[in-house]
Amino acid sequence: MKSSIDDAQYDDERLISLIAQSREDALSQLYDRYSYLVFSIAVAIVDDRSTAEEITLDVFVRVWQKSGSYRADRAKVRTWLTHIARHHAIDVLRRQSTKLDSYTISWDGVSSSATLSAQDPQELTELSQRREHVRAAISRLPEDQKQALALAYYGGLTQLEIAEALKQPLGTIKTRLRLAMQKLCDLLQDEQELVDTSIEAVPAYSMNRDDS
Amino acid sequence: MSDNTHVLDLLPAYVLGGLEADEASHVERHLLSCLICRTKANALQNVNEQLSFAVPTVTPPSDLKNRLMQRVQAARLQQMPPSAPGRSWQERFLPVWGIASLALIVILAAFNLALWQRLNQLEVVTAPGGMVAIPLSGTGEAPSATGFIIIGVDGRNGALVVDRLPPLDNGQQYQLWLVRDGRIISGAVFSTDEENYGGTRIEVSESLLEYSSVDVTIEPSGGSPQPTGAKVLGGPLFAPKFLITPSG
Repeated sequence: MKSSIDDAQYDDERLISLIAQSREDALSQLYDRYSYLVFSIAVAIVDDRSTAEEITLDVFVRVWQKSGSYRADRAKVRTWLTHIARHHAIDVLRRQSTKLDSYTISWDGVSSSATLSAQDPQELTELSQRREHVRAAISRLPEDQKQALALAYYGGLTQLEIAEALKQPLGTIKTRLRLAMQKLCDLLQDEQELVDTSIEAVPAYSMNRDDS
Repeated sequence: MSDNTHVLDLLPAYVLGGLEADEASHVERHLLSCLICRTKANALQNVNEQLSFAVPTVTPPSDLKNRLMQRVQAARLQQMPPSAPGRSWQERFLPVWGIASLALIVILAAFNLALWQRLNQLEVVTAPGGMVAIPLSGTGEAPSATGFIIIGVDGRNGALVVDRLPPLDNGQQYQLWLVRDGRIISGAVFSTDEENYGGTRIEVSESLLEYSSVDVTIEPSGGSPQPTGAKVLGGPLFAPKFLITPSG
């Protein structure tokens, strides 16, 4: 008889391993930890709660089905979930053929009362601090760079599509994205040192293929 | 300031998924061999990861979890083995048809849904014509992996069918090993398809009936003289106490 999962014992990778063994209690715990993240990403991209709910369900069902293909040496679980959520939401957005209002997509959002989920109080504190740090870094970007970054991240637009949407030269958009990411790279250097740098850069498209 | 031999200028858009497909493929190929660009890509990937912290946090509805668990449970009830109606098991076997001998093809054609289900329950099954299908089990490295060995009545014809093996890196393949009295020989080197399903003919000079167990490991492309990688599948070749006669 399998014992139920003790919340204090299992890290994310172990939960994925248990999900691969069809442990529903492991999926339940993973959902408790990351449902806010997946749902938030979905809402930010599709701007519709009902659709975001379906996306969230699809993401965790996909985790249930694809957990056996998760590779801890390629990405952390959080990164993996973020990629699945973001790309699925973008796919839904594209299928809906929603005309993208480039001027409404932004990094500004209602500050929510949703609490982060963490395994212990120290981790919760670290997550909250990191969130504030990242938001502060983004706020320091020039508006044109923030806008281009938002269209790429939330809208899933290519550089060419951003250029067309904003009626700007492609070279201008390339420069804005490059400068934005480089500035964030510099500002978030301390955060990056906390990240396991042994994790290999996961090609975005190969992860997309894994998730399909 | 971009160096034409590198893709540094493309990396920010690449990690965001903002390149056209042909550009992204170009970057991916370049990253395989360029440490400078790969190091930069890693740093930018970390930034990409951090961006998720900036997403405005919204609480999902309280009933969403119940809906998820109901959906998962419903999916489990609907889960069909490969040979179920609606998902033609013949289609799953098709890659093996082209590999196995004509006798094996004829025997496999006689298998039915109940037989496949029994294989999934790890029962050794004899089929018409005296052929044997022996299930294999996944290891800790690949707990979801399944497979079976089909051996002809004379032991000389054999085939391996696998499913849900873990995906491999470029430059890797699976290798089947036959074990007897501490001696290990290679039976086949093979790859799986994009759904992690595959099959291969087993080619050995001796009868397969002479071997006691099989292992499947991950090896460099082309195979190795001896097992070097992780074992993902395996099992005893014969367990007479489990041998049963098919009912139909």
